[in-house]
Amino acid sequence: MPEATPATVAVPPPALPAPPRVRTALWLLALALVLCTAVYLALNIPGSWFPSATSKTLGFRDFTLTRGTGGQQGDALVVTGVDASGTALITANSDLRSSDFPLIAWNANGFSELADVRFLWRSDYAPGKLNSAPLHVSAGRLLPLNLAHNPAWVGRISGVALTVRGPLGTPIHIGGMTAKTGGLREMAGDRISEWFVFERWSWSSINTLSGAAEAQELPLSLLLAAAVVIAAGAWAALAWRRRRMESLPVVLAVLFVAAWVTLDALWTFNLARQVAETRAQFGGKDWREQHLASEDGPLFAFIERARARLPAPPARVFIVADAAYFRGRGAYHLYPHNVFFDPSNNTLPAASSLKPGDFLVVYQRRGLQFNAEEKRLRWDGSPAIAAEALLVEPGAALFKIL
Amino acid sequence: MGLLLIPGLALPWLLGIVVLLSLRAPLRSPSAPGEVAWIAGAGYLSGAFLLTLWMRALSLVGIKFSVLAVGGPLLVATIVLGWWVWRRNTAARSDSAQRLPSLRQALSAPELTPLACAIWWALLAWLALRFALLGIEVITRPLYPWDAWIQWATKARVWYELGTIVPFARINEWLAANGTAWFDASPEYPPTMPLLQVWSCLVLGRWDDALMNGAWWQIAVAMTLAVYAGLRSLGVAALTALVGSFLVASLPLANVHVALAGYADLPLAAWYTTAALAFLRWIQQRDWRHAALIVLLLVACTQIKNPGYFWALTLVPALVAVLLPRHGVRIAFAGFAAAIILMVVVAQFRLSVFNYQLKLDFDPAWAELAQSYFLLGNWHLLWFGVVAASAVAWRHLLEPALAPITLIVGAGLMFLFFVFAFTNASFYIADQTTVNRATLHLAPLMVVFMVLAWNEFANGWRATHAPLATA
Repeated sequence: MPEATPATVAVPPPALPAPPRVRTALWLLALALVLCTAVYLALNIPGSWFPSATSKTLGFRDFTLTRGTGGQQGDALVVTGVDASGTALITANSDLRSSDFPLIAWNANGFSELADVRFLWRSDYAPGKLNSAPLHVSAGRLLPLNLAHNPAWVGRISGVALTVRGPLGTPIHIGGMTAKTGGLREMAGDRISEWFVFERWSWSSINTLSGAAEAQELPLSLLLAAAVVIAAGAWAALAWRRRRMESLPVVLAVLFVAAWVTLDALWTFNLARQVAETRAQFGGKDWREQHLASEDGPLFAFIERARARLPAPPARVFIVADAAYFRGRGAYHLYPHNVFFDPSNNTLPAASSLKPGDFLVVYQRRGLQFNAEEKRLRWDGSPAIAAEALLVEPGAALFKIL
Repeated sequence: MGLLLIPGLALPWLLGIVVLLSLRAPLRSPSAPGEVAWIAGAGYLSGAFLLTLWMRALSLVGIKFSVLAVGGPLLVATIVLGWWVWRRNTAARSDSAQRLPSLRQALSAPELTPLACAIWWALLAWLALRFALLGIEVITRPLYPWDAWIQWATKARVWYELGTIVPFARINEWLAANGTAWFDASPEYPPTMPLLQVWSCLVLGRWDDALMNGAWWQIAVAMTLAVYAGLRSLGVAALTALVGSFLVASLPLANVHVALAGYADLPLAAWYTTAALAFLRWIQQRDWRHAALIVLLLVACTQIKNPGYFWALTLVPALVAVLLPRHGVRIAFAGFAAAIILMVVVAQFRLSVFNYQLKLDFDPAWAELAQSYFLLGNWHLLWFGVVAASAVAWRHLLEPALAPITLIVGAGLMFLFFVFAFTNASFYIADQTTVNRATLHLAPLMVVFMVLAWNEFANGWRATHAPLATA
């Protein structure tokens, strides 16, 4: 009979490895983050790491809209259209020593990705020459421009400009331009501050989130992913040397979750700020007060007054407006009336499709004429139809078709 | 806030819970891993859909919506079913395994090290904070996102005020209907989500387009519970399953769809994810009750948003693989190949399906897609994690334990790829609109896949690297 050998059984490891191993992995993650950031800065700092100059900002009031349409609105210069040649141009005088400011950053948004956007400048080195460099658009914003290696970025810069060719889409808002030194402190500060920018709800939030600043040169998700890979590799190398690789799956998971939690902490902070803002705007209000406090408060108030002049639902109501937003929102506020609106195009219904007893709501829509004496309403070359104005306010009206 | 709102929102939840309890396989212990969370999570999704089916039935027979007409019979059904379940449990009371665990037992961390226990409670606290923030936002902000007020809540408003479901039609039908049909931007969209909003307004006693969106918050909570429960019942450790449900609950775009409620994408994601999890649970027991739940959840997918039909079909390859264990995976792959050929052929005819124009111009916007998935703030590190988990677990992906979920997400990714590459939706990748909302349908299940793949990798690693001990 053979001698009994002691049975060997695999002992399942605990759900998490011993704390020191987790701690080592987390330290490695922190080190990898520092390393990745250092590499990024080393590759991207355009000039001196510790410059003596400080950044200079030209505000929107320093700029002049030379070509195109628009003007100053609130805290921005707003460009609403291009000129006949399809160009918008804003210019400003400046006094910058080019060697001190290798980076140009624009505080501007609303750019179409299809537009050709360029930065122009003149220097005292060649005063008769207009220099230009293309600007890249990301999420409607302009990415910073590095001119350190541009041979035309020399001497003292006496004038700067921004030109946009092509479709504008939405109006462009220009808050200003900053000439940056691009030193270590400034560059690191800029990247970190991009991660903490408050991203409040917008129309696009339901479709996509930037994850803080709209245009990030160094997305935190990418930095963390790179750091996790490096930390995991470093941990595996250490563990392999010590022949203690059994915790690898858990360490990988810990690193991944730690990186996720870091991102989520920032997202939670952003969400908490948004909730505070929402409560300040709508908290303690009833349904009607909330709508009056909304972006379309004036429209809601007008529709409420119009509803008071409509018969009990459901009446057939057509609503027209130049902006798709007002057509859709106006219709929404008019339900449960039997509302018609064109969700995508700024069209007016055929006059023949309206019949006596129907109603027409007009809100900020050009191209309709009403003759109050003759009670005739017409639009876009259609034959006039009999109508009565039930409510007329600046830019808005309610008609009953007779 | 109306006194009836909270009990009203709880009613479909309770209804679903008792339906699932009554359907529960007698052999399955309520103290089995994740069972309570499953009943609560899948229970809400079942109950909410049943509520809308009931409202559709009432409308069909011409009974006007009211709290009594809608809620009364459902309350009675809940009580009767609950009593029957209680009686059945009483009969089995002598068997301790059949008793329902207490809330404290259900929440407590099972046999964890102090560090793991601290992480368990920290995650629960984090989840509580997240849902508190989302809850405040959803009940405070009136309906905000665009499609919500041009094609979803439009129906809710009309049906609530008129007390019945009236038809919505496209422009020509609307003009011809002479006032008997209503119009909005998407008249053909299914009625489930608007009906849940109608129910909230009924119990509230008035139209309120902030408070009516509580269902979105409930759906997110239910999905989180279902993911935890699904992972537990598939053999994942409690802490890992909680991490998985945390990852689902913290997906930023999913959070946005709760906070800015009104779209049907998050609900579709929740029902689809839970249906897939129910399917994975069914594989273990092959019980008709589980099958009934899968059918209910998949039918719900089709009644939430039109792409739900296609998402429901993504379970077919996995079903084939499960029913034909010897050749099923090969058949599934042959099916994928056939589907690709079919795509190319169908795309030549420039058909229109659910308002998406099929086209053969293969030109996906890869750069924008990568930006959406990896660089922007929509998904945290989800897609990095999916790639990494697939890489470390690649040997296990088609083994029996993982093959069904691999085939489901494979079919899901293929569907997304088809939409992005062969339809006019490819335009929406460039402007970052539809791409993320379509991805949201699959994202929670991708988290499940990631966790299960990692779990298989960890199990395999343990088997080969665990230190040996002498007994």
